[in-house]
Amino acid sequence: MIDEIDSATMGVLRLALDAASLRHRVIAHNVANTNTDGYTPLRVSFEEQFDAVRSALGRPEPVDRGLLEGPRPVISQDAPLDGASARVELDMEIAKLAQNTVHYQALLRGVSKHLSILGIAVTEGKR
Amino acid sequence: MMDYSQAFEISASGMTVEKLRIDVTAVNIANMHSTAAADGTLFRPLRVISRSSLPVFASQFEDGAGEAVYKLRGAQIHAVQELDVPPRSVYEPGNPGADDKGFVALPGVDHVSEMVTLVVALRAYEANVAAMNAARTMAMKALEVGGNQ
Repeated sequence: MIDEIDSATMGVLRLALDAASLRHRVIAHNVANTNTDGYTPLRVSFEEQFDAVRSALGRPEPVDRGLLEGPRPVISQDAPLDGASARVELDMEIAKLAQNTVHYQALLRGVSKHLSILGIAVTEGKR
Repeated sequence: MMDYSQAFEISASGMTVEKLRIDVTAVNIANMHSTAAADGTLFRPLRVISRSSLPVFASQFEDGAGEAVYKLRGAQIHAVQELDVPPRSVYEPGNPGADDKGFVALPGVDHVSEMVTLVVALRAYEANVAAMNAARTMAMKALEVGGNQ
């Protein structure tokens, strides 16, 4: 694959879109189980795994695509702070849902922009 | 890859559960003043027991040759349970269902808790609709990728 098309940008965007999509399903699952007794809400952890990539971004050389092999969205059960069983907080879930939707759209905008940069290269800068 | 049908299925499962909860509340309230049937059985308040359809937490399995895929299917109806509550006794000597002392046995429907269940189920239903609309918005936006810049 051409380096520009299958770049690290696209790799990160693909991963992040997967994570946002999974997060949406997890939130929908939590909302569906709002009134289920004894249900522990699920969470997705993803962004925390990007420390290595972030430090690589501080260096001048291009980001190694191998760094993107590590981070994967992971589902875990919500750990309550006080030891009691966690419950689904409907308002918090809906807030997370709205945030995730906007985040997903921002990522899609990123994909579009990246592709449009490629489009500029293809058309040699002409419109 | 965004599995839209899965997102819609999850929200739909939640809506099914909450709709049944509302239906059952309506049945309870409708039978609040029902006397015993011809065979002598008295209506008993019902309650919906739902459960998460993720029986084992780590139930993620390989989907084809690809990576591990999380299977989430939302909520499901576990049972509709009859509540074991004592009947109310109301003094109504003219009622054909009254005993020799003039008391009629009516179902022990708790009016307040039924109304609370109704409102909670209604809000939960709305939240499921919100989740489904969000999934639709995301899907529509994904279709716009590579559109006119």
